[in-house]
Amino acid sequence: MLVLGIDTSGYANAIGVADGERVLADFAFQTRNESLAKIMLNVDSMLKDAGLGLEDIEGFGVGLGPGSWTGIRIGVTVGKMLAYSTGKPVKGISTMEVLAYQARDCRSLICPIIDAGAGDTIYAAFYRSGNNAVHQVGDYYVGDFSGLAEVIAEPVVLVAAGVSKYQSAIEQLLESNIVAAARESIPGGAMVALRAAARLQNGEPDDTLSLAPLYLKESTARAFVNKYSKRALEAQQR
Amino acid sequence: MLVLGIETSCDETSAALVADGRTVLSNIIANQLELHRKYGGVVPEIAARRHTELIGYVINEALDAGGKSLCDVEAVAVTAKQGLVGSLLVGAAAAKTLSYVLRVPLVGVHHIEGHIFANLLSNPEITLPHVCLTVSGGHTLLVYVRDYCQYELLGGTVDDAAGEAFDKIAKFLDLGFPGGPVIDRLAAQGDRKAFAFPRPLLKAKTFYFSFSGLKTSIINAFKGQLASGETLPMEDIAASFQEAVVDVLVTKTLRAARQREVSAISVTGGVSANRRLREVFAEAGNREGIKVYFPNLSLCTDNAAMIAAAGHARMMLGQVDDLSLDVIPNVPLEVQHAG
Repeated sequence: MLVLGIDTSGYANAIGVADGERVLADFAFQTRNESLAKIMLNVDSMLKDAGLGLEDIEGFGVGLGPGSWTGIRIGVTVGKMLAYSTGKPVKGISTMEVLAYQARDCRSLICPIIDAGAGDTIYAAFYRSGNNAVHQVGDYYVGDFSGLAEVIAEPVVLVAAGVSKYQSAIEQLLESNIVAAARESIPGGAMVALRAAARLQNGEPDDTLSLAPLYLKESTARAFVNKYSKRALEAQQR
Repeated sequence: MLVLGIETSCDETSAALVADGRTVLSNIIANQLELHRKYGGVVPEIAARRHTELIGYVINEALDAGGKSLCDVEAVAVTAKQGLVGSLLVGAAAAKTLSYVLRVPLVGVHHIEGHIFANLLSNPEITLPHVCLTVSGGHTLLVYVRDYCQYELLGGTVDDAAGEAFDKIAKFLDLGFPGGPVIDRLAAQGDRKAFAFPRPLLKAKTFYFSFSGLKTSIINAFKGQLASGETLPMEDIAASFQEAVVDVLVTKTLRAARQREVSAISVTGGVSANRRLREVFAEAGNREGIKVYFPNLSLCTDNAAMIAAAGHARMMLGQVDDLSLDVIPNVPLEVQHAG
């Protein structure tokens, strides 16, 4: 099954095509606020370079995040409208799972980390590899890096885009054997396509029109309220 | 030519089908007011999230209601300029995807140009050139419309938009959000002359507006009474405030029309639904022999039909965008001279 995958949750536009378990095309680059401007051009040129047409694509995969809220909205909207307008199915994949899958050769616990773009806050999760898939262990983590270190119970392999940002903290954790390795990895379009293809072939598509990003954090409405009347804030609390 | 319009610049998710820039086949507007009401204003992140949830449904419903399918769509027009960036992005991402898949032209439209076309859609007989006043929660703008898609900026607000003043006064009086409809309703039962509120820049020679001072003078006049729990004459305050805003808007727009020697004025945007504004404009227009046009109520607030109509006009002029279209949250209406 030929699946086109997209992930725009981080600082890159990532797109790829997989045929079942085989990667046919994979393409990613930093966007510098031009994610929207470039995304359709990227899809178009990648398909052409791979010798494919949109009509060859049998399904779509989308990285749902977490990550940049604006970024995931672009990817999810493009993914759902591609599916809607072609009449093909779509499957949303957690960007955490995509990162973990990219380290699926690891036998230890895999811990993808995604920058939340707000101070020191990061999103994280734990996965275990097996049967050519990764399975999430426990819930998502939202907090700072030191808080994450406290919840790690066994040596993990960290996977992150921009892993150098946490380098000094990672050095310490490597010393104390909490971290077995730290890998630089950005969520890839072809990996999204692989994971989506596995689900779509199993007959597990998402509902196209209601497909929504994985935010993991409430919107900033509370901060917004504080700028306004006390009365509005009280009304909200009631 | 069948144009699919998409508008997500603020807190309304809208999609519409318009034929030949004239006939509205469908105009679906999903309003998010309930999500924002408790905050007393539009929260950008909440708006962007809601657009993402709704965009597919709204487009699908616009096609259904218009009795068309995707393959009938011959062009896609989308609000790409002026608005909340996170909101604009959702509509633009959807529009670009559809343009790519359907292989039809894509046109990015300025939100204000959409409002100008809301009136042309409702009143095809409007003569060109004319003077257009756009008044909403986000905008107060006087534009000389020389011809289709040829504009000259005459003036605008230097601080708050007219609709913003309605919202802020309503918030001060604890009347809820948005302020326009509730003040319109209260004012109908009040005395317009009860309080002589200031008319900022009324006599100035320019076509600029200011509503911040009016808002402050009302707050200063009544905040003592409000704090001590006294009952305020809400109807009279609403009526006198509304009269001050209407007076300034009508006087300056008519002055612009006289100066430009046009025989028609169009008034658009959410505040153009205000009953007193319509009444005073009609009276003044009659007096001076100038025809004043208002959009149908369904086209006053943000909607995609007006974007489709504006997009159609741009396309007729050969002005189309390609797949590299991006959104620009804050940019003046493109001013083009006939040459």
